[in-house]
Amino acid sequence: MADEIFVSGLNVWFDKNQALKNVNITIPKNEITAIIGPSGCGKSTFIRCINRMNDLVQKCRIEGKIEVDGKNIYDPDVDVVEIRKRIGMVFQKPNPFPKSIFENIAYAPRIHGKEEPTMDLTKEPKHSKFSKKEVVELVEWSLRRAALWEEVKDRMEKSAYDLSGGQQQRLCIARTLAVKPEIILFDEPCSALDPIATAKIEDLLVDLKKDFTVVIVTHNMQQAARVADKTAFFYLGELIEFGETEGIFENPMQKLTEQYITGRMG
Amino acid sequence: MRRKTKERLFFLLFRGCALVVGLALLIIVGYIVFLGIGTLSWEFLTQFPKQRFTEGGIFPAIMGTLYLMALVMIIAVPIGVFTAVYISEYQGSSRFAGWLRVVVNNLAGVPSIVYGLLGLGMLVIFFGWGFSLIASAMTLAFLVLPLIITASREAIQAVPSSLREASLALGTTKWQTIRHHVLPYSLPGILTGVILSLSRAAGETAPILLTGVVLTKSILPQDIWDTFMAMPFQLYALATQTVFEKTKDFQYGTALVLLIMVVLMNLAAIIIRNRYREKYKW
Repeated sequence: MADEIFVSGLNVWFDKNQALKNVNITIPKNEITAIIGPSGCGKSTFIRCINRMNDLVQKCRIEGKIEVDGKNIYDPDVDVVEIRKRIGMVFQKPNPFPKSIFENIAYAPRIHGKEEPTMDLTKEPKHSKFSKKEVVELVEWSLRRAALWEEVKDRMEKSAYDLSGGQQQRLCIARTLAVKPEIILFDEPCSALDPIATAKIEDLLVDLKKDFTVVIVTHNMQQAARVADKTAFFYLGELIEFGETEGIFENPMQKLTEQYITGRMG
Repeated sequence: MRRKTKERLFFLLFRGCALVVGLALLIIVGYIVFLGIGTLSWEFLTQFPKQRFTEGGIFPAIMGTLYLMALVMIIAVPIGVFTAVYISEYQGSSRFAGWLRVVVNNLAGVPSIVYGLLGLGMLVIFFGWGFSLIASAMTLAFLVLPLIITASREAIQAVPSSLREASLALGTTKWQTIRHHVLPYSLPGILTGVILSLSRAAGETAPILLTGVVLTKSILPQDIWDTFMAMPFQLYALATQTVFEKTKDFQYGTALVLLIMVVLMNLAAIIIRNRYREKYKW
């Protein structure tokens, strides 16, 4: 299978603290890659480098390369806005906009318009506006894809804040899907949810990998074992081990990995 | 037992202080209303003063104050809000932003008469604007800018950063995020700050005294370069420069109208804040 994200020599500093140390990893297309590790190991920092969210953090310095489709997203000629359209992100705490359910999802497509497909990350692609009907269809498609349609189809004009936490998180996933990204990053998407809502999101993740490349940060090892094809273990800013999920959990090569997954550390 | 006595004592002290504050407000407002209510009439609100402020009304002073408010708003709101956006969204913790913050905080403490002097020296004389509505409005705009900036900054910073991240992660630009999310969500807070600042400006006397207000004028100001009448100055002048007894009704009438105007503005601010607090909660 083709590789989607190719990371080499990634170093990240926040002011004088080095958060990531020489990370090299290749994330495959249309699979779920889980990032696990104890708190403060740099797993969130790592995932936030992939859509350049760390650009927003002051005194954050990034070295190294992250190639997506063979193009280094940190090259100076790359438009960060285009990056984030192609690489969506779902956050730890559900963060819907204080708008209606419909508006939450319709927002980004309306802003972006229809995009002429292009592989050239350096140029702003051509756009045309979505018609009203197209927006409605896109919203429905996104909600169906996020397994939320049946629950909200009769109350699209209600505030997103009327939804439960799990529904809000699926709404955020639908909102990301509406932009039609290629890669979706999940930063501990279930940490604020109850087990039932978590199970729904996990089913959804497995379903999404048919069309998207999924990278998920999780502090829940069982979750990684349940959904991920590949698992990466980070410790103190270093990538300790990366491989097939089964291998990592049943037969880890590194002592640190073994200690972590057997609960003797972290 | 001693602990309980202490408890009771301090509770009594707190309650006493609160009572004094409430009473003071009640007395001031009650006094003005009691003495001013008799003067209030349609005529008082819509006519020019006659017979050296013993008959007629305060129409030109009301209009002057309204004109002034409108101009102050036009000048100070965009500058204030955009400065707040710049400080909080673009300059996070840079040295310039920190310096700007200190400047804004200190500007808020400058006495209003000093602003008046600045308006007189710089706008009226040096810029040659003369005694005018625009010179006064600009001076008052300087005065309320720090208030508007501080209120707007607080409202903007109250928007959770998770919403900014949500928007940016969808591939919007920083400006789109500010325009579509940060500003709309912080608008109620900004509006509240703006209205409170304007009501503060409405009551200021010293800055306009030095830059453009006059006691009598037979017509409304014709343009922004014209002089104008205004309620707070009219009050000051009548109370200090005429025989108090003769214009007493006029003074309390003016005070009451000014008070009602300011109270209404503050009420509007409270209503806006409460309504939107319901709408935008996260």
